[in-house]
Amino acid sequence: MSTDDLARVREEFLAALQSAGSEPEAVEAVRVRFAGRRSGLLRQLEETLKSLPKEEKPAFGKALNELKRFVEERLAAAQEAAAKGAAAAETVDVTLPGRRPPAGSLHPVTLVRREVEEIFLRMGYSVADGPEVEDDWHNFEALNIPPDHPARDDQDTFYLPGRLLLRTHTSPVQIRTMEQQRPPIRVIIPGRVYRRDSDLRHSPMFHQVEGLVVDEGITFAHLKATLEAFLKVLFDSRLAVRLRPGFFPFTEPSAEVDITCIMCAGKGCPLCTGSGWIEILGAGMVDPRVFAACGVDPQRYTGFAFGCGLDRVALLKYSLPDLRLLFSGDERLLRQFEGVRR
Amino acid sequence: MKFSLAWLRDHLDGAVAAEEMARRLTSVGFNVEVREAQGEDEVWDVEVTTNRPDAMNHRGLAREAATAGCGTLRPFATQLAEGAVAIGELARLTVEDPEGCPRYCARVIRGVTVRPSPPWLAERLERCGIRAVNNVVDATNYVLLDVGQPLHAFDLARLAGPAIHVRRAHGGEQITTLDGIVRTLHGDDVVICDARRAVAIAGVMGGAESEIRPTTTDVLIESAYFDPLAVRRTVRRLGLKTEASHRFERGADRAMARTALDRVAALILELAGGEVAAGVLDSAPELPPARRIAFSLQRLSAFAGCPIPEEFVLRVLSALELEPQREGDTITCRVPSHRVDLELPEDLYEEVLRHWGYDAVPAVLPPSAGGPGLRLGSWPVTDRAREALLAAGVAEAITYAFVPAEWDAATSGSPLASRGGAVAVENPLSARMALLRRSLLGGLVDAAAANLRRGATRVRLGEVGRVFFATDSGVREEERLAVVLAGNTGAWDETRAVDFFDIKGLVEGVFGEFAVRDALWEPAATPLLAPGAGAVVRCGEGVVAVAGRLADEAAAALDAPPGVWVAEFDLGAASPSIAPVFRPLPRFPAVVADLTVRHSLDLSWGELVAAVRACAPPWLEDVAPVVRYRGEGVGRHEVKTTLRLTYRHEERSLTQEEVNAAHFALMKALAERLPVSFT
Repeated sequence: MSTDDLARVREEFLAALQSAGSEPEAVEAVRVRFAGRRSGLLRQLEETLKSLPKEEKPAFGKALNELKRFVEERLAAAQEAAAKGAAAAETVDVTLPGRRPPAGSLHPVTLVRREVEEIFLRMGYSVADGPEVEDDWHNFEALNIPPDHPARDDQDTFYLPGRLLLRTHTSPVQIRTMEQQRPPIRVIIPGRVYRRDSDLRHSPMFHQVEGLVVDEGITFAHLKATLEAFLKVLFDSRLAVRLRPGFFPFTEPSAEVDITCIMCAGKGCPLCTGSGWIEILGAGMVDPRVFAACGVDPQRYTGFAFGCGLDRVALLKYSLPDLRLLFSGDERLLRQFEGVRR
Repeated sequence: MKFSLAWLRDHLDGAVAAEEMARRLTSVGFNVEVREAQGEDEVWDVEVTTNRPDAMNHRGLAREAATAGCGTLRPFATQLAEGAVAIGELARLTVEDPEGCPRYCARVIRGVTVRPSPPWLAERLERCGIRAVNNVVDATNYVLLDVGQPLHAFDLARLAGPAIHVRRAHGGEQITTLDGIVRTLHGDDVVICDARRAVAIAGVMGGAESEIRPTTTDVLIESAYFDPLAVRRTVRRLGLKTEASHRFERGADRAMARTALDRVAALILELAGGEVAAGVLDSAPELPPARRIAFSLQRLSAFAGCPIPEEFVLRVLSALELEPQREGDTITCRVPSHRVDLELPEDLYEEVLRHWGYDAVPAVLPPSAGGPGLRLGSWPVTDRAREALLAAGVAEAITYAFVPAEWDAATSGSPLASRGGAVAVENPLSARMALLRRSLLGGLVDAAAANLRRGATRVRLGEVGRVFFATDSGVREEERLAVVLAGNTGAWDETRAVDFFDIKGLVEGVFGEFAVRDALWEPAATPLLAPGAGAVVRCGEGVVAVAGRLADEAAAALDAPPGVWVAEFDLGAASPSIAPVFRPLPRFPAVVADLTVRHSLDLSWGELVAAVRACAPPWLEDVAPVVRYRGEGVGRHEVKTTLRLTYRHEERSLTQEEVNAAHFALMKALAERLPVSFT
């Protein structure tokens, strides 16, 4: 055995590597044949080294080490090339679905609420908040609804121990706002409200947004323009807004506010019962009795208020069929709002 | 409320076409909701607001139509020929309770023939939703629908005395009403009595005993004004609403009590014959002085936001019979007895404005109040909580604030849900809505279970809302965030069942949104969560969150399958906004070294990390878990935890030797401190 033999092994290795090309299996076979740990050629040569006479060992050992390094380097290069080739051969099916991180969704009522809030925040209104459990004063009396008033029939109330109740509208927060803050006041009050009523169109729990503006010189014309601006941004700039005289104990005069039916554009359809109009909110000028109850001087200040059902707006905007679906927690519904932001 | 178009036209000269009248009535506040042709006539369903009892009859609505330019209201005249016998010889009247009954009028007609009404009358009644009975009763109902005055006819022969006493009922007094039901009265109810007993509940319903029968010949007609509050209380107590009570409780017309009596008497004579006794029994012929309201024309225009001409104001108020008088800028009106809703100048502004037309008022945006709008109260926190849900890939749900007692019981074991007693609704819609929730988890788990039953393979639901606790002084409301995870998680090719670290990671993400720091996770001992699979999270003293797998009993009570993971977070522990403060970026490289520790399962990761930190040099930057290994080569109650330690000095580069020395010192110190080994 001599260093010439090593040169021959080197030639053989190079030939084998060349014929293996970039086929991973063939490169692996070459590796096993030459550099295999148990019975590779290099391993055998190491055994040979041990049996050589002492004087031949250094030269052979040195040459063997060089050969080993050479084989390792070339093998590594060949393996890399083979891996690349394999990767190039295996193409990704780009039509398979990707691994999406879970997407969240906001409740349609939240989406509508935020949309309303944004409109009014841009007009300089604050967004106020108040308790859902109320007393009779804030929910009724201060709003000019004395005990035994027929208007209490329209707002069937859930009563709680201790002469408390679940607020039937967000209007008590109007009272709380006026009790705590001197005019000028510009607030909207979104929130959860409760009425003892349950059918296709009524839920014992639903959501309202209420608006209140109190200042010197606030007029009915201001109310009208504010509602028009709000409803046109919320629904459609082309729709018509109609105010009809109505009655609420806490406003005088009061108005029922209709918009052009968004299903039929005013032509008449089942949604608007053929009238071409949809009742969307109630409004009016704050009744002086309400001002008096809150210690606001009705001689000096005037104001307007309005209230609107957020669930109903959500139903209209998203063509939802049933109010109760909103509170079912059905992910098949909720996930339809993935990607919708306000 | 139902109206007959032909009937309305009876009160109008030169009435405009039906279409136009409907449009105008709607625009002045009487929404004509439905129009339905019935032969020559049309039946209109008109919305009359509760403050306008004066328009809950044909003449009243015709008055509005006339004011709105739909014609001229016909003068109102009744001709009645009285007989020779004076009413005083036939019946007596005493009103003992002028508060409950401010006015009581009666006439007597003798010799009537009770029979069915002629078709024209029966048809009109039926179009307006009232069943025809006989000519006498129908006449009273006709006048009710015509001019709004509730009337009642008694069979005179069946009135003991014959006498009418109006008084408060004796508590427990009984009367059989026209509908055949025996009613027990309360001491506050106003009753009409004869010389012996109650014969009618004032303003609500007559008694069966004295009702008009085919054999009746002599009748006493009641036309009264009862106190709205008294009638309303009786209606509420008895749960009995009638056409009469509907009007009395909203406020009838004190003057009309007398006028309508003549009208009904004339109609009965026409339909049933007989003779009217001379005179009227009238407990209070004097009307109280009319209310006067004065307002400034200038203020009216300023209130409206556009000039409203004086002539228009005077024309509308005159047409509404408010007798306006102008003196300079001031208009003074005299409120007729049928307008119970008018008290303040603003009430008159409304009268003028609704006839002026809301559509004729210009739209002008109010001036800005100056400052920017802000989100106040709990909105900043609750809105951020919704953002946190969104970021965590959760679908926001809204569930009812009402829960059945079983749900409350299943969730109230949580330390977050036991901060006060449950609040019971006094008049719940059903037992399923008996209590106000103390935890959001009841509704949320219920919704998750419903989703799973529908075949959902992954549930990721959350809610932000209030919970309610009974306190000594009332009810306390707290804001909460809750989530429920069930089924699988992960992408399509690497799906696995949800586990504790999914729910914990979600909660940690939420904490991140709220800068909740130093949260301490401890094994939970709460009946809400499965033993060994739940945690309570403390911040300082208080529990701020719970998270884990729902206990089997709780799941059963909520009708949920096993394997539902829940978390609830008290948003009271959340601060609304965190402004990040810049930390200088590291200037020197980090050296990373892994450390595998074999230890008992009793030793928690938290304890291990705390010990590592205590034993490490101050320049140990981070400790993170790499892998936890149990199985071959590791004892049954043991685990091998590999930690990745990141060393970094703020002021210089670390040498490998320095790190190695520190790392080995750490291992030595750790082994002295804890029962751990490194093999």
